[in-house]
Amino acid sequence: MNGLHFLLASMAVVFVSLWFVRSKAAVVFGRWTLLLCVAAVMLMPFVWLVCAAFKDKAVFNEYLFLPPLDKLNSQTINLDNFRSLFAPKQTTQGPVSFWRYVVNSLLLASTGTFISLVLCSMGGYALAKFRFRGRGALLTYMLASMAVPGVALLAPNFAVIYHLGWMDSYAAILVPSAVTAFGIFLFRQAMTAVPDELIEAGRMDGCSEFGIYFKLVMPLVRPMTGAYCLISFLGAWNSFLVPNVFLQTQSKLTLPVVLNQFMGVYQRDYGVFLAGTLLAVLPPAILFLAVQREFISGLTSGAVKQ
Amino acid sequence: MKEFPLGNAALAMLVVMVLSIGATLLVPAAATAGKPDLVMAIFSPEHVAAYRPVVERFEKENGCRVQLQLVDQKALQDRLQSSLQVGADVPDIVELLGGTLGIFTQARVEDVKLLDLTDRVESDRLKERVVESRFGRWTSRGRIFALPHDVHPVMLAYRRDLCERLGIDVAKLTTWDKFVAVGRTLKDHHLPDDVVGRHYMIDLPYDGSELLKLLLLQRGGLLFDSNGRVTFDSEAAVDLLCWYARQTRGDNLVGYSAGGGQSFSKSLIDGLCLFYVCPDWRTRQFESDAPSVAGKIALMPMPAWEEGGRRTSTWGGSGLAITRRCKKPDLAWKLAMALYYDPASVAARFPETNILPPVKAAWAYPPFDRSSGYFSGQAIGRSFADLAADVPRDYDSAFTSQASNKLVEAFANIAIYYSANGEVGLHDFAAGELHRCADQVRRLMGRNAFLTTASAEAAR
Amino acid sequence: MSQAPSEIAIVPTPQLAATGVGPHRRRLQMGGEGVAGYLFLSPYLLVTAMFFLVPLAWASVLAFYQTNGPSSRVFVGWSNFKFVLGDTDFYVAVRNTAVFAAASVLIQLPLSLGLAMLLSSKDGRAKNLFRLIIFLPNLVGQVFVGVLFSILFTPTYGLFNRLLQALTGWGLDQRWLDNPSLVMPAVIIASLWLYVGFNMVYFLAALQNVDQSLVEACRMDGASPLRTFWTVTVPAIIPVATFVVVTSTIGSLQLFELPYTLLQEHGGGYGPKNSGLTIVGYLYQYAFRNGDLGTGAAVGWLLTLLILIVSVVQIRASNLFGSTK
Repeated sequence: MNGLHFLLASMAVVFVSLWFVRSKAAVVFGRWTLLLCVAAVMLMPFVWLVCAAFKDKAVFNEYLFLPPLDKLNSQTINLDNFRSLFAPKQTTQGPVSFWRYVVNSLLLASTGTFISLVLCSMGGYALAKFRFRGRGALLTYMLASMAVPGVALLAPNFAVIYHLGWMDSYAAILVPSAVTAFGIFLFRQAMTAVPDELIEAGRMDGCSEFGIYFKLVMPLVRPMTGAYCLISFLGAWNSFLVPNVFLQTQSKLTLPVVLNQFMGVYQRDYGVFLAGTLLAVLPPAILFLAVQREFISGLTSGAVKQ
Repeated sequence: MKEFPLGNAALAMLVVMVLSIGATLLVPAAATAGKPDLVMAIFSPEHVAAYRPVVERFEKENGCRVQLQLVDQKALQDRLQSSLQVGADVPDIVELLGGTLGIFTQARVEDVKLLDLTDRVESDRLKERVVESRFGRWTSRGRIFALPHDVHPVMLAYRRDLCERLGIDVAKLTTWDKFVAVGRTLKDHHLPDDVVGRHYMIDLPYDGSELLKLLLLQRGGLLFDSNGRVTFDSEAAVDLLCWYARQTRGDNLVGYSAGGGQSFSKSLIDGLCLFYVCPDWRTRQFESDAPSVAGKIALMPMPAWEEGGRRTSTWGGSGLAITRRCKKPDLAWKLAMALYYDPASVAARFPETNILPPVKAAWAYPPFDRSSGYFSGQAIGRSFADLAADVPRDYDSAFTSQASNKLVEAFANIAIYYSANGEVGLHDFAAGELHRCADQVRRLMGRNAFLTTASAEAAR
Repeated sequence: MSQAPSEIAIVPTPQLAATGVGPHRRRLQMGGEGVAGYLFLSPYLLVTAMFFLVPLAWASVLAFYQTNGPSSRVFVGWSNFKFVLGDTDFYVAVRNTAVFAAASVLIQLPLSLGLAMLLSSKDGRAKNLFRLIIFLPNLVGQVFVGVLFSILFTPTYGLFNRLLQALTGWGLDQRWLDNPSLVMPAVIIASLWLYVGFNMVYFLAALQNVDQSLVEACRMDGASPLRTFWTVTVPAIIPVATFVVVTSTIGSLQLFELPYTLLQEHGGGYGPKNSGLTIVGYLYQYAFRNGDLGTGAAVGWLLTLLILIVSVVQIRASNLFGSTK
């Protein structure tokens, strides 16, 4: 029996006694307690991350989280990790600032997401709403293509990229993922729910096919658009394997690749790496907060309900 | 204002895209001035930093341009292999991680995509100037394909303060038998200010991992012999794996697995384990991961397997290879000599990495006699240099990773057997298990068409 | 609800088309729409031809060769396939991968759905925060995950071990990543932490499809919450649920990076006794660590076949399930 057991037991007691008084209150209590527990487990590593990012190198490994209160001072807790992170690094192309990698990552993630959003939703729309020869075969093909593991094609892909002359260029990262079977499939599923009358009406009004897709259909699948932006941005933002293999020039590298450089084969600078990881979490976190309204409340207000 | 049809998320993406493209255009990257004469790919940031001044001097002296590329180790290898597969451009010079040469040398000698350096090594009399045993792992069928960057002798680092207080005289720990005997007495030894339940004699990874190879080498065993044949089911390996099981399992154990990162540092700081296997490169890790025990740590040679035996081993390393596609092999060789084997220059670099250079003339320079505050005032450069001649020779194969995995697999089964049955039948079981695992690797190698021709060449 | 005839068997068209869509489905004429359709799909066709079909063709040829660079190439027929199918390590990899896939479908997806249901209503800022917290693990990169779990899972000092010890009185000394029988559980636990929030996002979006008036009606009739769940919620989310089950099964059968990062210092990325070896890990080992692209390609084909079979079975099963309602 320890503190943790006591806490859990007392929660159970509260739940049971509430149940007898007012079962609805018990359900509410249970729901929030459960959520709090899950949140605590999910957050613990991040608490560790925040502590680690601000700990001085000298005491980094001494304490699991933070030093005890009496040792809490600028010697043990400071911004040194961030300072060395932002200090321009000497490279063969001259000094490169950390901001450069941030901008590179933002550029690749946002461009990749926007392009693939447009191209995948167009493809999904065509598969959901146009009838044409070969549509079924194409769907089967797409599903089958998802079954092939990417690693199996890494070496052949490398050859293709090389012969296109795209080594060390952003095209090698952006073009192959500009439109994926996964994205098309997702949008196709979402767009089958759009009423055909709407499209018909658009045609009556003399809209072009592209106009119908862009102005009439896309606003109706905004929740899926939001979710897709988030997922696609995250994928690109954290992508490590592909940029690591195809990019060479130091000033073109992305955040995950550069952060990995602090975790060398011989030496590891945990503090700086973790400070960088902490900063790298911020952009997608902001995006999540901004976007979640789109996919939580979007559908209920949309025109899909009949 | 009308809403963006694709929604706010897409609008946000568009805005970020425009802003970041703008930022990229506003601050253009420094332009690279034309094609460099040599491109060198390196996986270690520390090496890049250390080589930069040497390279700058080299560029001035030779009127050429050298580009250093920092590439993640796995990416470097994947890229190099893929490039060689498809005949794409490769760097002129690459630093390879020890244990990865075999992948490139499994073709016939004339098909290996790395430059055969044997004649240059002979004509520069490198085998006399450099620790000779280090060429073993960079050699295939008698031909040298890369130059050793390091020696990486192994010592034991220990908590000097705690050993003194616990009454352990490290000078007497000359063999592993004596070492283990002292370790077993620790169970009942406590200090009044201990923060841990008990002290363990040595940090031994529970699954064996790298340590098995290291101890096997010290014992005179090998994963592969000089002809690339599997040899890790030797009698030395059987004895070692039984020994290792005894030290990490059961009532008489002396080892504890301290792990890596924070867990390793805590174990070191709290004194959970007293002794740690420590090659030269790891001394830097000690200094940076556990600064609070500075002055309480010291180094000693490893205990030998028998009195008067070898008191060191080796762990890790890298080597420099020149690719066949390199258009200026003479210039590349000259750069390699400047980076690796210029005694004054490598000696000056020693304090940055604590890595012992393999060129013997360098060891006469003062940095190797400088005493280290962290390691209780010892001249650690001298200690490692003194062991360099005893560092065991090893060889590489395309199947090194499988062989290491299978060795660990054999150990896992032996350890389970030991935990269940103790000493009864242990040796026979261990021998059988090692044979089974080694045969698996042999079968694997047997179906490799290139390796078969390669070993036929070796036999010729 | 009427079900539109499905054009192909393996795509879950019927139910997906059925949700929210009325029975109206025009006969569309060929001609204009065909041109527009292919025009809309042309970017995909170009990209997939260049970056999927060409490499795939290359890899397919390779599966019948042993190679070591352009100049060393030997035709070996079915030998690569025969070797892989006779290799005990391959079956270890298949077993590990299957265990992981089963765990992610049977443990992780229900948890994701449960969390999504707890958080689906849009009231309050608190829930916005909870959604972010549960999604947070998806925001960090693989390298951090490796560092993090090497700290969580260590004996004596590891956070996870300490928590387990405090809760159950067991686990402080467990060596999760060194003990062959604990490696897969550790990988599954790590993947739970990582991915539970990811699939929650899909379920959150799907739950918006549930008709609240029907839920209310059920409650009025005195139906139990469980019954309401089966009769109202499940039918409404079946299309997206099928998508999530199929894609996350594919994802788990292609598992590689997570165990490889976690086990970096435990058995060279594959764990003791290959206890963390997955099929793609096996592929990677041959293609890149041994430089034998041919055997790697053969493994790739076998895995693709396995995934296709599993996906078709899953989609067939969900078709059955959908039509019984």
